Amino acid sequence: MSAVQSMRAGIGIVVLASTLVVAVVAGAARGLETPEQTVGTSQLDQILLGRRIVVSHGCGDCHGGGPDPSAEGWLAGGDPLPVSGMELHPPNLTPDDETGIGRYTDRQLFNALRFGLRPSTTPDIEMTSARPGVGNHPGQPDYLAPAMPWTSWRHMSDAELRAVIAYLRHAVRPVRNAVTPNEKPPHGWTEHFAESNIGPYPLVAFPTANEELRREDRRENVLRGRRLVASLGCSDCHGGVGNPAASGWMVGSRSETNTGNGRPVGPFEEVIDMGQFKVAARNLTPDNVTGIGRFSERQIFNALRYGLRPGETEDVEITSTVPGQGNHPQHPKYLAPAMPWLAWRHLTDQELHDIASYLLYGLKPVRNRLPDSEGPPDFWASAYSQVSPYPAAPFPTQRERAPSELPPELHRE
Amino acid sequence: MKLPAAVVAACLLVGARPLAAPPAPATSRVVEVRLVASVTRLPLLPDGRLTEVFAYNGQVPGPLLEFHEGDRVVVRFRNDLPEATTVHWHGLHLPFTADGSPFHPVAPGAEHTYEFTIQRGSAGTYWYHPHPHHRTGYQVGRGLYGAIVVRAADDPIAHLPERVLILSDQRFHEDGSLDFADPGSPAGRVDFENGREGDVIFVTGVVNPTVSIRAGEVQRWRFINASGARVYRLGLQGHRLLHVGSDGGLFEKPVELEDMILANGERVELLVRATGDPGSIALLQALPYDRYIPQTRPADWNVPRTLLTLRYRQDAPVASPVVPSRLRVVPPLDTSAVKVRRVMALTQGFINGRTMDMQRIDVEAELGATEIWDIENIVGMDHPFHIHGFQFQVLDRDGVPEEQPSWKDTVNVPARSSARFIVRFDNFAGNWMFHCHILTHEDAGMMGVLRVR
Repeated sequence: MSAVQSMRAGIGIVVLASTLVVAVVAGAARGLETPEQTVGTSQLDQILLGRRIVVSHGCGDCHGGGPDPSAEGWLAGGDPLPVSGMELHPPNLTPDDETGIGRYTDRQLFNALRFGLRPSTTPDIEMTSARPGVGNHPGQPDYLAPAMPWTSWRHMSDAELRAVIAYLRHAVRPVRNAVTPNEKPPHGWTEHFAESNIGPYPLVAFPTANEELRREDRRENVLRGRRLVASLGCSDCHGGVGNPAASGWMVGSRSETNTGNGRPVGPFEEVIDMGQFKVAARNLTPDNVTGIGRFSERQIFNALRYGLRPGETEDVEITSTVPGQGNHPQHPKYLAPAMPWLAWRHLTDQELHDIASYLLYGLKPVRNRLPDSEGPPDFWASAYSQVSPYPAAPFPTQRERAPSELPPELHRE
Repeated sequence: MKLPAAVVAACLLVGARPLAAPPAPATSRVVEVRLVASVTRLPLLPDGRLTEVFAYNGQVPGPLLEFHEGDRVVVRFRNDLPEATTVHWHGLHLPFTADGSPFHPVAPGAEHTYEFTIQRGSAGTYWYHPHPHHRTGYQVGRGLYGAIVVRAADDPIAHLPERVLILSDQRFHEDGSLDFADPGSPAGRVDFENGREGDVIFVTGVVNPTVSIRAGEVQRWRFINASGARVYRLGLQGHRLLHVGSDGGLFEKPVELEDMILANGERVELLVRATGDPGSIALLQALPYDRYIPQTRPADWNVPRTLLTLRYRQDAPVASPVVPSRLRVVPPLDTSAVKVRRVMALTQGFINGRTMDMQRIDVEAELGATEIWDIENIVGMDHPFHIHGFQFQVLDRDGVPEEQPSWKDTVNVPARSSARFIVRFDNFAGNWMFHCHILTHEDAGMMGVLRVR
């Protein structure tokens, strides 16, 4: 296993762990947030949007191929992940009728992404509530195994989730690869997905007690960035369990002293164990000294797009992904690999700026000094010497259906 | 005839005659100093192997310069090095043109005269070292550094025996030559993060020197951290330390400590009270101090290192001299006069996201203005922040107020913390440097220019 592969496995474990640990009770008043989303008008645009979401959300990190649609085994089922004494098998997401998602309807896939409901056992009906036992949401939901971060993905808009489904169903080439069905505890994962552990759906309205609009002219960016932060699961590591109203939202890795009230604030132990190194998800609130308040929007952008540590990298526009070219440092100092920037970097410039806007201008600063992440003296440069391409390979790759091969109804405007 | 550096240093350390201050002259005097920087070979290592060094007046450290408040100092300097250099008078309040900053390089073979007056009230411990742009760490690392002691006529502890202890560290090749890593190499990149540290520690040019003391005695130790990167947490086995002064001289009140941190460029005056038994020994150690970014933290960072051996003479104890509870008055700078507050955000090699540009003025201040500077270290290792030409008073560290005002020109700002100081830009207009005193960082551009006008 290469260093990068082993790091990917590390990421998988990180994501997995996020849903297994009890965290704080969601507080504060609830309100509905209306996601606004512009989707391309044509279905081809829908497929391309879905592809970008799949790539930028790192679906392939667990389901096969990493963030690279040209990789062998793209979404055809991933390596087993050890979780809580079990071995979980990321399913085959290609539209194969027998071994992949070809077996399921769009609605079943939507219910999986939005509500975490296992498509093989959940009735193919439209869910009228996000709460078990309310509306026609099953009283005893059969949830996907917790490695699947649906508690984050669900914060995407309906249109985005449908775009993901359209891409998987129509544009990914089917691969016959039977994946072992996943084990589950005797009573399923219901307790793990109690609302107190995963936050409410939809998100509580902005601003919560953790939030404030620090720049009026950035309101739109902040609101878009907020939903991205929620739907990317940043809080799985950086604190706040999927809920902007939760104690410890974005203040960094959990530690008992974080909140002053003795409650742990995030789903993780204080540090994430990455082999010989201990990694602490940093404080992302705009506190000047312990958070990211003194970093520029561009530095946050460079961290998300290029993986460059903001405190160790010059604040300049970077125009190349190749070290030594286009202001990219000769010896780049990278974020610890628990940070999935190799996926996130496939978000658009606008989306990355929106995330930076939310963190810098949409959060209240919280002073929370954390241990610095450990890492090798080359700041992971050798681990990142061979990574998936950016930008992603153009559509279609060999793993994907060419537009001419798409079903005829997708060619119409 | 020139004495080898080690001999000179040993005299400073263990000489029978304490370096007590001679009475200050009634009128100002002119002190003329001749200083030559040149390449030479010296037996730095205890085994006598010769090392090619850069030296002031043929010795490492350079000669101890003693001045009195009010002295007019004229330093006739000649650069016999193969490269440009300067002499920076670290901590002294003097004209910009005499500061020896990167703006005034002295070419190889050239001479330059530095002239300045030692300010009243500035009695304390200072030092001198080169400051050419991009080459400071290299030249200091090659051996160019020396101590300055400024004496006051009314020094309340002038009666105590005194030592000047310059801490520096060095890295050698097998053949005794100095080891400087290629900046592009893995070792060079570790040096960039940590600053260049060496595994051999010198105290005024000597490895683990012996200092003798008589039970009951009180000695005044002036420390200078001349290391390019190593930070010393000073602790003396079996003794508590009495902290009586900082960069710019004595405190108002002595402070008793178990140990204390001396960052790069900083000075401290400690009183050592000989509370041990006749014939006993105590080691002065550099205790573990984690100033490092985790990625390049040395594996042996937590191993204590011996700096010197304090040896008690067999003589019966003497009656301890009295240490005044009030050493002098240090009036606090007037915060109500502050009109400008600035933030300096320190990252790894950058100040406010920028690197040094000799053509750029980063900060402009009015002559005579009082300002508060908030130094925010937003990365995972310590950065000692130094400002040229002016002494400041630290107000608080991470919001915790200082116990008493004291004069500083360098303040260590630990990882992800802040320190605020108040400063008055009196007397001297000009372009002044401010920078991280980890010399590798400074050379990489973690420096800026303050124009006082």
